[in-house]
Amino acid sequence: MKVRFSVNGEPAEVDVEPRELLLDVVRDRLGLTGTHAGCEQGACGACTVLVDGIGVRSCLMLGVQAAGREITTIEGIGTGRGHLHPVQEAFAEHHGLQCGFCTPGMVLTAIELLQRHPHPSRAEIEENMAGNLCRCTGYVNIVDAIEAASAALSSAGAAREEA
Amino acid sequence: MKPAPFDYVAPTTVSDALDAIASAGDPRVLAGGQSLVPLLNLRLARPDVVIDVNGVDELDHLDIDDGVVRIGATTRHRSVELDPELASAVPLLVEAAGFVGHPHIRNRATVGGTIAHADPAAEFGAVMLALDGRVIVQGAGGRRTVPAAEWYQGYFTTAIEPGEMLIEVELPARSSGAGHAFREFAPRHGDFAITGVAAIVERANGSCTGARLAACGVGSVPVDLSSVADALVGATDIDDDALREVTRRVAVLVDPTSDVHASGEYRRELVQLLAAEALRAAWERAPSGGRST
Amino acid sequence: MTQTDVRVTERANALIGDRVRRVEDERFLTGQGQYLGDLRHPDLKHVGILRSPVAHARIRRVDVSNAVALPGVIAAFTGEELAQFARPFSHLLPMIPTLQQIEWHALAIGKVRYVGEPVAAVVATSRYVAEDALELIEVDYEELPAVVEVESALADGAPKLYDEWPSNDFLFMPFATGDIDGAFASADGVVRERFTHHRVTGLPLEGHGALGEYDLATGRLTLHASTQQPHNLRTVIADVTGIPENKVRVVSPDMGGGFGNKAHFFREEALVALIATRVDYPVVWSADRVENLTASLHSREQTHDVEVAYRNDGRVLAIRTRILADVGNPEVYILGCAPAVVTTSFMAGAYDIPNYAYELHCVVTNKCPMGGYRGYGQPQANFTIERMMDLVAEQVGIDPAEVRRRNLIPDEPRPFVSPTGACYDTGSFHAQLEQALEAIDYAKARREQEQARTDGRHVGIGIATLIEATAPNIHALAGRFACYEMAMIVVQPDGHVNVHVGTKSQGQGHATVFAQMASEVLTVPLAQIDVRDGDTGIVPYGMGTWGSRSTVMGGGAVLKAAQAIRDKMTGIAAHLLQASPADVDLVDGMFRAGEAAVPFAQIASAAYMHTFLLPPGTDMGLATIVGYDPGGTSPFPDPETGHLNVGATYSSAAAAAVVEVDPNRGRTRIRDVVIVHDCGRVVNPMILDGQIQGAFAQAVGATFFEELVYSPEGQPLCSTLLDYQIPAFGDVPRVRVVHNETPSALLGGFRGAGEAAMIITPSVLANAVHDALRPLGVKITQTNLGAHHLRDAIRAAGVPLDPVAGVVS
Repeated sequence: MKVRFSVNGEPAEVDVEPRELLLDVVRDRLGLTGTHAGCEQGACGACTVLVDGIGVRSCLMLGVQAAGREITTIEGIGTGRGHLHPVQEAFAEHHGLQCGFCTPGMVLTAIELLQRHPHPSRAEIEENMAGNLCRCTGYVNIVDAIEAASAALSSAGAAREEA
Repeated sequence: MKPAPFDYVAPTTVSDALDAIASAGDPRVLAGGQSLVPLLNLRLARPDVVIDVNGVDELDHLDIDDGVVRIGATTRHRSVELDPELASAVPLLVEAAGFVGHPHIRNRATVGGTIAHADPAAEFGAVMLALDGRVIVQGAGGRRTVPAAEWYQGYFTTAIEPGEMLIEVELPARSSGAGHAFREFAPRHGDFAITGVAAIVERANGSCTGARLAACGVGSVPVDLSSVADALVGATDIDDDALREVTRRVAVLVDPTSDVHASGEYRRELVQLLAAEALRAAWERAPSGGRST
Repeated sequence: MTQTDVRVTERANALIGDRVRRVEDERFLTGQGQYLGDLRHPDLKHVGILRSPVAHARIRRVDVSNAVALPGVIAAFTGEELAQFARPFSHLLPMIPTLQQIEWHALAIGKVRYVGEPVAAVVATSRYVAEDALELIEVDYEELPAVVEVESALADGAPKLYDEWPSNDFLFMPFATGDIDGAFASADGVVRERFTHHRVTGLPLEGHGALGEYDLATGRLTLHASTQQPHNLRTVIADVTGIPENKVRVVSPDMGGGFGNKAHFFREEALVALIATRVDYPVVWSADRVENLTASLHSREQTHDVEVAYRNDGRVLAIRTRILADVGNPEVYILGCAPAVVTTSFMAGAYDIPNYAYELHCVVTNKCPMGGYRGYGQPQANFTIERMMDLVAEQVGIDPAEVRRRNLIPDEPRPFVSPTGACYDTGSFHAQLEQALEAIDYAKARREQEQARTDGRHVGIGIATLIEATAPNIHALAGRFACYEMAMIVVQPDGHVNVHVGTKSQGQGHATVFAQMASEVLTVPLAQIDVRDGDTGIVPYGMGTWGSRSTVMGGGAVLKAAQAIRDKMTGIAAHLLQASPADVDLVDGMFRAGEAAVPFAQIASAAYMHTFLLPPGTDMGLATIVGYDPGGTSPFPDPETGHLNVGATYSSAAAAAVVEVDPNRGRTRIRDVVIVHDCGRVVNPMILDGQIQGAFAQAVGATFFEELVYSPEGQPLCSTLLDYQIPAFGDVPRVRVVHNETPSALLGGFRGAGEAAMIITPSVLANAVHDALRPLGVKITQTNLGAHHLRDAIRAAGVPLDPVAGVVS
């Protein structure tokens, strides 16, 4: 089946079997391997992408269901070498990653959280991030990073308003 | 794990969806996919046709009308969780919705899908029984309404017949004197509940005029425990003694099974603890001095 | 005292001890990491593996013909077929007479012995088609009764995994030292307990796997594998395939975790290599979550029957123990009961107990193979001795901190030789214990506990200490390999530096850590240094990353190589500056002698481009390959004494924890936990703290959340991440850490860092939970303290439910 959608702002068209998961379409058909397969049961969040700005498990969507949608993957975050999104910057600053396998999912989920809820408490961060599993870090640095990103985004926003 | 091959159709009307179901050998309706796709990925479900109903606008509605709430089958859990009118009309449902998985699961998972899937641990099973809700299904022979008490028939088994699909769910809007609470115990936040309890307590002129109680995760189907909550009717306070009596009866009514997550005995204890908590919380939330409607 | 401040160093050349941002982060943050599944080759095909659905059976027939006929399938293989082109695996330990010798192949032949054992394989255009093809393979199994736990496996008449063995006892090791009988005879009392250590798995988020590519024209095989030990894997693959080692290259790409679960050499890795030589395409297989959970590697399952002889003053005189280790299926190399052997070395813990005897039985069962997981047998030993210390304290009525004081290894001598011959070179165990007690404010914690008890709340305090082998010598357990590391450093003509190491990072930040070391010695900025690891093509040999060895051994090799380069460059600079090398300093990338100076890059350029400038007798280029072996470890136990010095150096720790248990729900809340941690000289405090928090999280998981369960028929009941639950956000508090830096005698002064929190945390938490539940008469003798288990234990102790108990904290 032919499916047309948009990925990171660019149009895409693929011809896929209905059973192909959106995760595999993104990774194998589009070559965007930053989205990872951790469980294929929706339990770990490593496959997180944004569909029309909303976070979903790409392992639980069929590629054909992406028709007409705007997909955002980790490759669509940040503006290139040396220009990290404040969330990415904060993760690096606070050592919020080790092996990096869960990281794309974490970053997208954090970005979406801060868009909905710019000043979450630590408890709110934990509750909203709880669907993304990490085996390396023990989580506290990731919460630190998201708190810091929240502050950075606020002051950047305030600076923009003042300007 | 990857799914076995299947055909795929995406009808835009209920009528077309029903035709697709009727003409398939072994169809599966795909709504949110958060329960079905894991089964497809494990090849535990091997439909010949997947019928994607996300584009059927008739199924996507949330109406509150004359004391009845009608929720279309493809309404997302996330919409339920965040809808302020629903929070006012069916607060029990909205509170329970926040326990369903994680936000990203709720972004896709649907009310209809969860109720059709009938996982015995699902929060909505307890909520449906406590609210005495109704499930509306439709097949070639037309629509029919199934009360929640008859909907859950066994392990992942409902009263739906071959050729039918779930259209909407009907719930009564809360009465002015009612308080509600949903409580569950899960190993981690967002996990399937080991056990969960939904409670509604009606309060008028300072005493309890009615109580509903239901539990999930206590066996192959959610269980209506309202018969034991009746012991509270007439009470002017839901104190420890009253709750001990109710929970003693609850312990006898349930016969939970053991699995890797918990022993049956542990579940039996949890449901008592949660019932006590939920009933007390529901009582405290019920407006005091309210008149019964 | 507490975790180091967030003080990120922006200075260009980062030194050892600096809190530096990781150089590898950008690619992970932007989705540019290259994990095994991300590697793209033209014409890449996918391997699917048919796995046994039964725990124990004879294989009567395997027919792949229908699979081969499916469109999109290139080939299919049975065990018999593939064995024709392969040499078998073995454990290479013929010198151990009490070890059953076995050989096995990548695919099962004749018999299957666990659910998930590989039976056949297909090669197809996609993983989807491969899984379709697997369904078309016909296998006739003649089922046999299964044994799923050790006692039944050892019982008379038990079904045997190997018909030719006398029993299911795979490895038997006895040991005794000191005067055991005398000690027990003279003791005032004996505590006897059975401790059960439950089955868990490391669960890296990325499972293991391999991608093989064979070039017929050159006879070269390139295997990408998600492995912690690429060189060792290369040796194994060369063995199995028969391709000489000089034509096999193993590359380990970015890894989504390892944790010891990828420190064995898997049948699937050999399978991919063999298939690559049989088909005209590169082929890949990567474990999906079901395969990872049920059929890769499990860990920890042991039972310890322990007797401890003590005096009334709390002094422990002797330990006698029978250890039953559940090996599962034994067909994994390095042998899966290696951790159990390590357990035996650490049963006395950080205590001075000279009379020690053990009997180790490693027993095979019809379950997934066992193997290494962070701690590698040391968590089990630490748990048992630390629980025993508390139980002795209860018997003699002395505070458990005081009992420990009376037993801890004294500050002198160093090294302290343990009963099993391990040479402890650490700082003071006594000082660490006092630091832990101070950090938790022990006296205040006890007062608050008293108050809590009168309020009816169940608060407990736990204490534990740790001695840990790091940078171990694996030779005794693998029949080969050793305790060294290699590094190659090349300074390029433009002055930029390549550092290649034989270790392999799975997230531990080695690219940054080794760059910091090279930066310190060569005084050039981090940005000028490029570190690579995990590739047999870039350094001659290495032992990989496991056993907390990389900073110690990889670091030693990097420092040694960097110093060699620096010395050579100093000699060249001296010649150019017309000074004596002793008068030449290197500071901030400038070689100086008095007023004269020459930059680092200019020396590099001279060494390659203007070689007439070099001093007579100095070869061109700036490249060195070094091996670093600090010595002192034992390649095998002493034939007479059985002594084995396991680690090149040792780390130590002490911990204290306060918990509160809800006796109705069984749920434990960790209120405070502190670890006093000594891993010698710290390279990057940010990375170190990350390792400690991460290990702590895994320990919390292994204590309160994780458990692998089998049915009586040998069916694994945990096959998804909903069955096997690792901790999530909100489940793991921040562990407080007090850092000590007692330098080791090794190059750099480092000690191993990544495992201590994993080893000590389950012990300190169990001690705290036991203390919390003491008023209820519940005794903790198991590692599995999940809420339902604790409530079941509380109920069994006769404590009824109070259904109207307050909301759980």
